[in-house]
Amino acid sequence: MTTPLEIGAGETALFWILAPISVIAALGLLFARKSVHAALSMIVVMLIAGVFYIANEAPFVGIIQIVVYSGAVMMLFLFVVMLVGRDASDSLIETIRGQRLATVLVTLGLVALLTVVVGQVTWGGAVGLAATNTETGNVTGLAYLIFGRYVWIFEVSALLLITAAVASMVLAHRTRLAPPPNQRAWAARRFREGKHLAGLPAPGVYARHNAVDTPALLPDGSISELSVSRVLAARSQVASPERFADAQDEIEREIEEGSER
Amino acid sequence: MSLVNYIYLSAILFSIGGAVVLLRRNAIIVFMGVELMLNAANLAFITFARMHGQLDGQVIALFVMVVASAEVVVGLAIIMAIFRSRRSASIDNANLLKA
Amino acid sequence: MPTVFEAPEINWAAIAPMLVVMAGGLIGIVVEAFVPRRRRHSVQVALSVVALVLAFVALVTLTVDNRVKTLGGSVVMDGMSVFLQGSLIVFGLLGVLTMAEKFGGDRPDAFTPMGAAIPGSAYEAAADRAGLATSEVFPLALFSLSGMMMFVAAGDLITMFVALEVLSLPLYVLVGLARRRRLLSQEASLKYFLLGAFASAFFLFGSALLYGYAATTDLDGIAAAITETRPGLEPLLVPAILLVLVGLLFKVGAVPFHSWTPDAYQGAPTPVTGFMAAATKLAAFGAILRFVYVGVEGTRWSWEVGLAVIAALTMVVGAVLSVTQTDIKRLLAYSSIAHAGFILVGVLAFSTLGLRGVMFYLLAYGLMTIAAFAIVSMVRQGGTEATQLSQWAGLGQRHPILAATFGFLLLAFAGIPLTSGFTAKFAAFAPAIESGTLGVVLVVIGVLASAVTAFVYVRIIVLMYFSDATSEDVVAAEASPLTTAAVAVGAVATVVLGIVPGPVLELAAQASELIR
Repeated sequence: MTTPLEIGAGETALFWILAPISVIAALGLLFARKSVHAALSMIVVMLIAGVFYIANEAPFVGIIQIVVYSGAVMMLFLFVVMLVGRDASDSLIETIRGQRLATVLVTLGLVALLTVVVGQVTWGGAVGLAATNTETGNVTGLAYLIFGRYVWIFEVSALLLITAAVASMVLAHRTRLAPPPNQRAWAARRFREGKHLAGLPAPGVYARHNAVDTPALLPDGSISELSVSRVLAARSQVASPERFADAQDEIEREIEEGSER
Repeated sequence: MSLVNYIYLSAILFSIGGAVVLLRRNAIIVFMGVELMLNAANLAFITFARMHGQLDGQVIALFVMVVASAEVVVGLAIIMAIFRSRRSASIDNANLLKA
Repeated sequence: MPTVFEAPEINWAAIAPMLVVMAGGLIGIVVEAFVPRRRRHSVQVALSVVALVLAFVALVTLTVDNRVKTLGGSVVMDGMSVFLQGSLIVFGLLGVLTMAEKFGGDRPDAFTPMGAAIPGSAYEAAADRAGLATSEVFPLALFSLSGMMMFVAAGDLITMFVALEVLSLPLYVLVGLARRRRLLSQEASLKYFLLGAFASAFFLFGSALLYGYAATTDLDGIAAAITETRPGLEPLLVPAILLVLVGLLFKVGAVPFHSWTPDAYQGAPTPVTGFMAAATKLAAFGAILRFVYVGVEGTRWSWEVGLAVIAALTMVVGAVLSVTQTDIKRLLAYSSIAHAGFILVGVLAFSTLGLRGVMFYLLAYGLMTIAAFAIVSMVRQGGTEATQLSQWAGLGQRHPILAATFGFLLLAFAGIPLTSGFTAKFAAFAPAIESGTLGVVLVVIGVLASAVTAFVYVRIIVLMYFSDATSEDVVAAEASPLTTAAVAVGAVATVVLGIVPGPVLELAAQASELIR
């Protein structure tokens, strides 16, 4: 065996600064009210885990952890949290009475058991990986193992990725069942229904301003609600055309005054 | 400091992950708890790899990441499917229309 | 630590059956992309059947002379692997046949036309009219099956973990694709997924601790580390083993890790339930056998009692709760929990005979389960499955053959003599009695639990034959030759294994050797 591993002051300091932060962040997962906050604290845990991997002489795995895990996987989580919305998420699983207390007890028991177990163990000198990492190189050494001893798992993980792709297609992809309606189809439908034969009115076009959020004015000066998208109306983002109309009146009045002079 | 501290940390994170799974009622957060547990196991693998002076633990950690990312895709697809059904179901729900 | 690259030796003949099943699934994915929609179903079914038959042929011809440990120890093709993989392929074949059942319609009856459509929406109705079908279920089932085959032949813990996920991920999706009562199905899928992922995390953390103990995840390496003992590291061992066992016991649905079973069984499309009940249980018990017999038997005294308590609890809870069920699928789910307990008794015998008994039990149980769920999928009221027990009243008067077959299968579940259930229970319990006091106690509990379950099954038979029908429109759907074949194979196997179990028991005895 090589000489036992010595852990420097730098790593000790790193551990004692980052480990409490990661525990606090993990507790954030337990207590956060909003899923977004939970996801963010999860990212903190994962970043710190990546740093610890690098400190543990696993630079490649550490980088992958940061790039793939906190980068890609947690972004996927955040994305779904955003899509789903934070309100619709509760009461998916039925609550069992007394479960909360039981869980707390079980968890405390688990923590106690695991820490006592780890505490009872007397650890011999750790070997460390510095020699291996400099001799073969960390990435080369990993590659030797991945394509050597663990090649079966490497190949089989392809099945997992394919399953994941198929699963997301099956559960989320909707085939278009009919071709999208073209202009001719729209026109035919308008005439069949006999409404808005000439199409819906265009939004307001004024001498100073035109925009899709400004409704058109009907001959009697009232607003045509049909002329703005109902999405804008629902978001109450429709602008009032009055100030453009007023400005126009003002100009017309000035022109009239000018011609009278 | 000895490497054992990393194992302590891993055990604590694992237990917190377990508690998250059992306590939270939000499917996405429950799932994040599972991810936390997998990460804790990875930390243990990497630390043990260093203790034993082997790279095997690191390779295993890489495979666990592959597995976890595939699992995330499947899990989130299932969660999305459920949320879509639930939301649309609640639109048709007479109770909501009254409000 | 390798300083130069060493390619592992690969015994292609030994892994050929797994490769054929995987290739079948992969070609199935390509079929999804390129074959026109209306022909996909028949192409997929044919492809799956061909792949499974080829795999079985490969298993019978090639692996006989290739009982080896290959791929650096990731794959162990010993007698147990061959026997269990063969059973898995048979289950897969029967499962595919039941999944392909159309009941006179134009597409598989059990699966939703489109998994992405919102239940009850106009889009779903349109997809139904357009004749869509989720034909992806066949490649997914093949992927799951290949994962199970890897699982029973895994020589180290990390291969086991990856195989566990390969077998589980497709199942999580399949569970959520039921055609009717889709909200229930999706919820079952979510519950199964979350609890399954939770359990596999336990498995992984246990593996990590075992890696810390033994400096390897190879099961033989762990066994060696246990015999030569690692001074100072001893306290790690038992918690690690228990964590790994939690992950594995979850998959077989042992109490107290069983809570997913009734929900997933009830929500899943019925053919998937049958496949899952038979194949997942077999695969998970295969992994338990290998982990317990090859890996950690050296420290058996320290966890044996815990496993025995779980076995006893599983039998009692499964049997008692099956009494109160009113839904036939949930009832069969609780019965499967009880059966998991019976099989665990055989596992705890720790002998070659025990191994033989467990393998025989798994095969017999799987065959009758697939047939039973196939029959459940046939009994209909108004086009949907009549899963309420009250709906089954008087079925024997209208469909005597169907009811008789189901009744016979129920008697086999109960372990009545002249059925395979009896032989299986005998084969699993006898070695347990010889193993010592603990075994005797477990067998007594097992026999009492069997009596309770027998009461439940007999009640159903009485209901089918001696009660008047509550409504006249509960009928058995006209099954195609596919389902009929699956039911027939299951029922005939149950008879044959009950009356002349000799040859198969002999086969299992030959197969009960483990490469360590």
